Order: sequence, then C-alpha cells, then structure tokens
Amino acid sequence: MLVSYRWLQELCPVEADVAEVARRISLAGLEVESIEEKGHNLADVVVAEVRAKNPHPKRDNLTLVRVFDGEDELDVVCGASNVPEPGGRVLFARPGAVLPNGMEIAARKVGGVESSGMICSEAELAIGSDAEGIFVMAPDSEPLPGAPVAEALDLHDFILDVGLTPNRPDCLGHVGIAREIGVLFGVAYRPRKAAGPRKAFTAEAVFETSQPTIELAPLWDSVADLDDPPTLPEISVEIENGDRCPRYGAALVSGVRVAPSPFWLRYRLHNLGLRALSNVVDATNLILLEWGHPIHGFDLDHLRGSKVVVRLAKDGERMSTLDGVERTFSTDDLLICDGERPVAVAGVMGGLDSEIREETKDVLIECAYFDPRSIRRTSRRLGLHTDSSHRFERGVDPEAVPQVLASAAGLIAELGGGAVATTAIDRIASPREARTIRLRPSRAAQLLGTPVSAEESLRILKSLGCSIVEQGDAEIIAEPPSWRPDLQREVDLIEEVARVRGYDEIPTAVPRVHPSETGTPGLVKTVDALRDAAVTAGLYEAINYGFVSTEDLRKARVSTDAVRLANPLSEERAVMRTSLLPGLTGAAARAQRHGASAATLFEIARTFEPSGDALPCERTTLAIALAGQRRGWIGGADPFDVYDGKGVLAAILDRVFGRVPEVVPGEVPAFMHPKRSAVVTLESRPVGFVGEIHPDVADDLELIGRVVYAELDVAALYGLAEELGPPQAQGLPKFPAVTRDIAMLVREEYSAGEIAGALATASKGLAESVSLFDLYRGGQIPEGHRSLAFRVTYRDPEATLTDKQVDKVHASLAKVARDRFEATIR
Amino acid sequence: MAEPDAVQTFEDGLNEIRGAYGDALRGAKDEPELRLINGRYVGPQGELTKLLKLMPKLPADRRRELGQAANALKQEIQATFDAALHAIHRGAREAELTGPALDITLPGRWQMPGRLHPITRIRNEVLEIFLSLGFDIADGPEVELYENCFDKLGFPPDHPATDEHDTFFIQGNRSQDPESVLLRTQTSTIQIREMLKRQPPLAIVSPGAVYRRDDDATHSPMFFQLEGFLVDQDVTFAELKGVLTLFLRRLFDEHISVRFRASYFPFVEPGGEVDMSCVFCRAWEGDRGRTAACRVCKGTGWMEILGCGMIHPVVFENVGYDPEKYTGFAFGMGLDRIAMLKYGIPNIKLLYENDVRFLSQF
Repeated sequence: MLVSYRWLQELCPVEADVAEVARRISLAGLEVESIEEKGHNLADVVVAEVRAKNPHPKRDNLTLVRVFDGEDELDVVCGASNVPEPGGRVLFARPGAVLPNGMEIAARKVGGVESSGMICSEAELAIGSDAEGIFVMAPDSEPLPGAPVAEALDLHDFILDVGLTPNRPDCLGHVGIAREIGVLFGVAYRPRKAAGPRKAFTAEAVFETSQPTIELAPLWDSVADLDDPPTLPEISVEIENGDRCPRYGAALVSGVRVAPSPFWLRYRLHNLGLRALSNVVDATNLILLEWGHPIHGFDLDHLRGSKVVVRLAKDGERMSTLDGVERTFSTDDLLICDGERPVAVAGVMGGLDSEIREETKDVLIECAYFDPRSIRRTSRRLGLHTDSSHRFERGVDPEAVPQVLASAAGLIAELGGGAVATTAIDRIASPREARTIRLRPSRAAQLLGTPVSAEESLRILKSLGCSIVEQGDAEIIAEPPSWRPDLQREVDLIEEVARVRGYDEIPTAVPRVHPSETGTPGLVKTVDALRDAAVTAGLYEAINYGFVSTEDLRKARVSTDAVRLANPLSEERAVMRTSLLPGLTGAAARAQRHGASAATLFEIARTFEPSGDALPCERTTLAIALAGQRRGWIGGADPFDVYDGKGVLAAILDRVFGRVPEVVPGEVPAFMHPKRSAVVTLESRPVGFVGEIHPDVADDLELIGRVVYAELDVAALYGLAEELGPPQAQGLPKFPAVTRDIAMLVREEYSAGEIAGALATASKGLAESVSLFDLYRGGQIPEGHRSLAFRVTYRDPEATLTDKQVDKVHASLAKVARDRFEATIR
Repeated sequence: MAEPDAVQTFEDGLNEIRGAYGDALRGAKDEPELRLINGRYVGPQGELTKLLKLMPKLPADRRRELGQAANALKQEIQATFDAALHAIHRGAREAELTGPALDITLPGRWQMPGRLHPITRIRNEVLEIFLSLGFDIADGPEVELYENCFDKLGFPPDHPATDEHDTFFIQGNRSQDPESVLLRTQTSTIQIREMLKRQPPLAIVSPGAVYRRDDDATHSPMFFQLEGFLVDQDVTFAELKGVLTLFLRRLFDEHISVRFRASYFPFVEPGGEVDMSCVFCRAWEGDRGRTAACRVCKGTGWMEILGCGMIHPVVFENVGYDPEKYTGFAFGMGLDRIAMLKYGIPNIKLLYENDVRFLSQF
C-alpha cells in the first residue's frame, strides 16, 4: 500500500525523518519496501502570470502567450486550448528546466516564433494525470509569479510503499499507520484534522441494535452552513443476513454539485496511485485511504423504494457492476439492494445503475462491516479484487462505522457544496462480541527468553488501544481494540509486547538441542550418496520441473496414467511426471542443439503414479542420460554407447555399495532399445535398467544419435543397502595367484558374460577372477564369430598352487568352452 | 693329439673374449643394444657359451683350472655389463634431467567429475550447518492434503494468508476441503507430518521442492524451500535468534549483521522476517558509497533472507501437543534465492533449464 509521509505527519506528528519512521515501522511489521520523494525535482518550474495571449501567426492550433515569471516577461508558444485570460496564472518551465520525464526545456523556434520555455500540464510535471490541458492556478490561490511550483502547490512529500501482511487490516489506511507510529514513538495518537479545508463531523454513536440512528455533529472548525439542514428521508435498512453484514450505516449529503476536486486532493490521490475522477468519488477514495474503511456512495435518485436491503443473492441473479460487466451471482454472494433490485455487490463493487454521476445531487453514503470470509469468497468467485474487497476480507473496524460515516459526509459536503443530514442510520444486526485475553508476563518472558514486566506489558497494551479489564503482576486481562481482529489469544499479545519493544531487544541464545538417536533417514543418505557418486563418476546434476505435458509422456512412451493438475499454468505443465525420461532427455536435446559435444546428466527426483489412496505413489528414481561423445585424450572421441552406461552405473554403485552391478538380459521399458538394453541387478536383485533409447523414441524426443539412458530405483537400492550393511573386512591373500589366459574363437550368440561365468564355475572355486582382455572380429575370424580372450586368475586361499594343479584346472576350462560354447581354443 | 690344441683354443678363446667384450660394450648406445652385444658373448649362441661347450674335451687335469678361469671371466663380464648398464641408465637419466622438458601443456588425462546442481550444493551447505547443530533431516510427499498444507498449520479458512500460496490442485480437488489433494506450497507440511509421528524434543530440517502458481521473471512454479523447527520445553525466541544468526554468519560471512523484523505467517506467533547485511555491497564493511549505489539492497544495506517465528499454539493443538508444556520455533528459507545470492545467479529460470554450460559452473 502506498502511504503519504506528509499525511501520516498530519495525523500523528513525530520528530523523526522519513527514513527513521520507515525503519521503525518496518521492524514492527509494516515493511517499507521503497520510499519515493515527491516535489523535489521541479527546479526552474515556477508560477507565471499570463500577460498577453494572441493567436500564433502561422499555426492555427497554437497560442502565443506572454508570461511574467516573476523576473522577466517571456513569449511562449502553447498548444493547449485552455490558456487563461491575462491575469490568470499557469505553471511555467523556464528554459534550462528538466521535467520529471527527462525532457529538457530550451528556448526554440516553434512555427518561426521564438518560444522561451514551456507552460506545463499536470501530467508533464508528474503531479497529476491530466494531460488534456495546461494546469491553471485556482483564481483564489495565493502564490505570486516566480514562486517555485513545489512551494506554490505544496508538493513536497515522501510516498512509502508498505508491504502489509494480511493480519493487519487496521493498517490499510493512514489513520491505522499513524496510530502504529504513535505506539512506536510513544506519542499518543489523536484523530485530528488532516489536509485540506476539511469540515469534520463526529458521530454521536449509539451502539445499540434497538437504536438504529445516530446524530452527526459538526466537529472542530466546522460551521453549520445551513439554518435548515436536510433531514434523512425515510429510508429503511433491512439486513436479512446479520452474520454476513453485522453492521450497516448510511448518511446523506444533499445538494452536492459534482465537479473536479481541488488540487490538493487530486495530488494526494495521484501520489497514492488512484486516479482523480470527481469530488464525490475522490472523497470516498480519500476516506478509504484515510480510515482504511471502504465506503460507497449511491445516487439517492436511483435507489428505488426508499429501501436498502442487505441480502444473499438468488441463484443466477444478475447485475452490472461499475466496470460495466454484467455479473451472475450465487446464493453465497451478499448483495446490497434497493426496494427492487441489487445495487451493489456488498464490499466488492457498486452497481452501474446507482453510481455517482455528473447530475447526482443527493449522495447516500454506505459504511458497513461485512463478514470477511463472505466478501473473500465472493471476490474470488467473481475474480474481482478491489481496494474495497481487499480491506473487507481482511476485516475492517466495525466500531469505526459511525466515525467514518461522519467523516465521509463532512468531506463530501465540503467538496461538493452540499449539506449533511444530521441524522444517520447505524444498523447493528449482530453486535460485535468483545473478547478478553489473558496475558501472563511470566509466559511472555518464557517464550521470548528475556524478562518481561507487568508494567511494561500494561503500558504497551494500553498504547495499542487495549482496554485493561484486570491487572496484576501475574496476569493482565485485556480487551483488544476493535480494529485489531488479529489479537485472539495470549501469544498474540506476547507478539505485541515483543514487536513494540522491538525484536532487537531480545537477546540471542544457543538452544539445547536433543539430536535424535536415529539420525538422518537412510533413504535421504542413500540419495545423497548416489548423488555424490554420480558427480564423482563425471555426471552433471539436472533439476527438472515435477510437471510435464501429456504429450511429453506420450512421446517418451512412458505411462500417461498420470496425476493431473486441476489448474495447470499451461498444457505444457499439466501432469505430474511418471518418469524422469522426458525432463532429462529434454535437457540432453537442448545441449545437443547448443552444439555441446557431450551431455552427461543425471537427476534424482520423484515420479508420481496414481494409487488407490488419496495421495499418489511418489517414487524416487536416479536417471542418467549420456548424449554425444566420450572424449579421449587428444583428438579421440567415440559416441557414447551402452557400455558407457554400464560403466557409469558400475562406478556409482561400486562407490555407494562397494559392489559392481550385473547387467543381464531382461524386460526393459518400451522406450528402450530392444536389442541394446538390459536389466541392472545388484546382488541378483533387479534395481534398474540401462541401454540405448529406442531409436523411434529418440527421434520423437528430438535427440541426435544414440543416447544412453539408465534408471535406478532408489528405494530398491536403499532396501538392499540396509540388508548388505556396512562393508566387512576380508583377510588379504596369503598365497600367490597364478594367471593363465585362454583365447577362443566362438560364435557371436554366446555372450562374453555367459562364457566368463561358465569358466569361473568350471574352476571349482580356484578362479578368483575371469576377465575379458581381448575381443576381435574380422580378419581371419569367420563371419558370425569372434575371438575372445580371457585372463583367469587362480588362487588357492589355503596353499600355493602348483603348475600341475593349474594346468589341470585350466584344461577343464578349455573343455567347458569347447563343449558348451562350441569354441575353438586358439 | 688334440689335447694341447683344445687347451690352447680354450685359453685363447677366454683371452680373446676378455679383450673384446669391454670394447664391444662401449659401442652400445642404449640398453637393448647393450643386451644384444652381451648376448653375443653370454647368450645361448654366445662366444663364451660356445667356448664352455668345449669343456668336456679339455684334459681332465686342466679342466678344473680352466673352468675356474672361465668362471672368473663370466663374473668379470657380468661386472662389466652391470657397470655399462648402469652407465647407460645414468646417462639416460642425466639426459632426461638436463635435456628438453616434456610439453606439460598437453591436456591432463583423467575422468573429470561432474557437478552438483547449485540448489543441491546450497542445500548441502545449509544442511551441514544445521546437522552440526544437532538437527535431523526429514522428508515428506510433494503431493499433499489440504489439511497438512493449510488447516493444521493454522491458516484460517477463506483467509487472505493463502493469497501468497496460489496453489496447484490435483484434478478433482479444488476446494478448501481438508481432504483436497494439492502440490505442497511449502515444506512446512513436514512439520505437521513429523509432529504427528513423533514426540518432542524434535530438531528437524526438511529441504524439498514446493509448487506455486507463479511464473514470471522472478518466480518459478516449482522451487525449493528448506524448513526447520525445534520443539522442546522452554524453547525461546532468543534461541531462534541465536540459531538463525549463527546459521547466516556461517553460511555467508561471520561479520554480517542480522536483524529480526516482525512479520506474519499463520503458523508462527510471534512471527518475523530476518534481514542480513547485503552480501553484494558487503554492507558490514561500512563503505557507505558502495552501499548507497547497491542495486540489490537499494542502498538500505539489508536483504531479506528468512521467515521465522515461534510455533503457533494452534499448530501444537492440531498435532496433539500441549502448548503450555512445549514451545518451539520454526523457520523457512528459499533455497533458490539463497543459491542465487551466494553464487551470483542473475535469473531464477537458469536453475531449471539444465543448460550444461550453466551446470558446469558450480
């Protein structure tokens, strides 16, 4: 909310500059997000008197004006049509002036005539929004030619942008913030006359349901203009739903003349982000900004049936609101109606038919208290968030109704030249229930960690406007003020004590923490370990959005039975991912488009699958994508293939579990290459898959070349980790190993892994390892065959092997190769 | 008879070999050549080997004497060879040590590690601090129930406090019904889940992805938060201040100032926001000119970094704790924002584009 420092100072003067005020209220919870100075950037713009006014010799639409700027008479060419007659005063930018929009004023020729300066409009000086014509000083205003505009129009101010939290509706007006400043600076806030020639009224409030009228009495310097003030016509106010509208007040100002507002009011609204419209509308806006209490003006002539009825809408009932939109209501929407039809959406926006217009004479002012939840629901349903709904849904001060009504009536009468009917309506359908709250200073001290005395608590609560019902050292019973709906229980009062005193006054301490005996959950540890291992293995971590499009899932051939959002931002992000494939390969495809030679990515994140329960099944998966080329040392580069995927998985799993995975034939997802992918097992348990992406899928995903993809099921890995437990040390071998090689020519369909496994088995436990060290095709090797060479490391843990023993075993391995794999031993 | 001839031949042979061997070796440039030459004498077809094959033909009475002579030559040759080999090794080493340097500007050769995502990196930095203070990590689902995300955290129904939580609902759920299913808008849901599951004392931090319907220059519809809370008897606001001040100083700089401002979150009371010295103009160093010109803190010297407060008694009531017995504090931070501050990341969108050129910077 934009706030005028000047206005705050009028309401509650404190001896502090704007920066200090901003700092103090920020620390107390009214966060000042920016401060903008006003009226300081208009050097060389002065009041000037028109001395002569002649048509431009060459251009029809221009006027040649001679002005006196307090020092010299100058000729200026002006394009506006509202140049006043000689004697009138205007705002004149001397040559050399720089306007707020950056325009530099210089003497120049316009249509062959020398023009020395510029006569300005409000908009050009950024002091208003009127760009139609030049600004003309009011005839009865005082400033003489030569007076700087900032002084002549009293422009100086600071505008604070205050970010208000939703618990402080009381600060949605200047009065509330001034009251807060009073509390923080220890100055008693008293409502006082604010800017402008304000008549003020006060309400002789009678807060009884049985007495629906109040007297509005002139206050301060107001004088009764009329010997015979108007009387409130017989208007009945009926509240059908007292829970939705606990209080409704109405006052009448008769005989107003709708016209533009005086400059001070327009300037204030302009600075606070509202557009000046007409005196009556501007007055309601000023009251809104002052009291934070929205009011609404009806043209009495357009209220039918001398009646105001506050009721819930009928289903499908319609009305056009001020913005010209016809709206349809539900039975949960509260309407203000006249004797025949709706005239306003309660607390949200007025109706088009009864709005204040130029010919309006009699203004019926509404000031009410509506149930915040009701207003919020209607505002949300209509998608209509207004200055009014913003305040009502947070909760205005129900007790302020008479005073706001009186204030509004006085201002409208002053600006519009009307008269206030001294009787007004104040209908209370559902009286506010006062609540009392107990505050134990000892509890406050315990919660804050610093001593809190009863005296100080009492002082602070009183300054906030609490009524003290009981007071003692052990406890204080207080009734919070009607404008603080947020004060509900003891802890709220404790916050008030801490806040007013300042959080800075609370010392810092180190808590006694009881760490749990279980520590970080195993799954979290497993995820972290996998992440670190993946990075160590050379992969870059990606983080993708959890939502994707159905099309993404379809293209990736993964499950489209997905958790769907009711209100996605776009179709691109409409369903929760069922696989990490679309996100990760999307990143890989982007890297390829950028011309990256390699993208080696991984992601550990959740996928979501609908389950029978309320919440879907969230599964944590590690996915890996390798696209592009594995870099050799210098120059050499080979495209990634399935063995890179296998290798990186081995590196990761070996790092985390101390075990190398097996990759075995098995069922893989449809998006994987049917002949170039396989299942990954660890300790014979399936934990994922690895391979190349199916070429058709890769095309659909706009991937270039063969892209390797792997997934590991993190929950399965974690379960396994739990079973395996920590590594257990083994004794080092006491006896030497003997290595022998066996090379064979074998048909392609026998896999190397299968042969190595068979050789190991055949060794009767003597082979410590069987590893492939050479693979050769072509040349002398017949078609459909390949040459494989294995190195077998033999070791007997209990004795030194003799050559004879080894020869014997090695021969049995050769036999197995020949018999089972039709191998030719070479 | 051939005897004297055999003896003569043998002796001449030994002498010849003795004379020639040293000279022959001297011609060798390197070890292979040296071994080649050596082989000509002591290899299977070598001169000395051949000579020794004559041994049986020698007269028995001379055999012992001549055998000894041959052995002596063998040892001599071995010693000469060793010396020559050593000289060649030495020479090669000298040449390497004094000769031209290797081109060490050629690229290194190893599998380089990848990188953690900056959000993970900052998460780890933050976690490390809290783990050292004795906090545990907890986790919870990203798809949640309305009641865990709002009701139990004390958000009143139809209240503007939910305005900042523009929520993604799962299809078929769009109401404030407690059973409504949504994407969690805050990691505070884990507070509720952990408190429902366990009894105080609790000291927990929970990082995770959260979702809000904001997507513009400064907002991402998915982002990361880290929530922390401590519940015990007699936990105080002073301790909240102590923990967060310590945390921020460790994370950013031990010299920064930290200030607490009153603020509002439905699940804490008193609630606050935490500002720290601007880390861009290094406000704590007191260079006023630099701070005045700082666009990040707009000259104030402060930047907002955390939300916090004492856990609201209504939250304790909602999870079945006695608010008269237990107190606690909670705090939350945006990991994206902290990563952006700490690593100078100019735009939140970079975090989710996964451009390798970006990822490789962390």
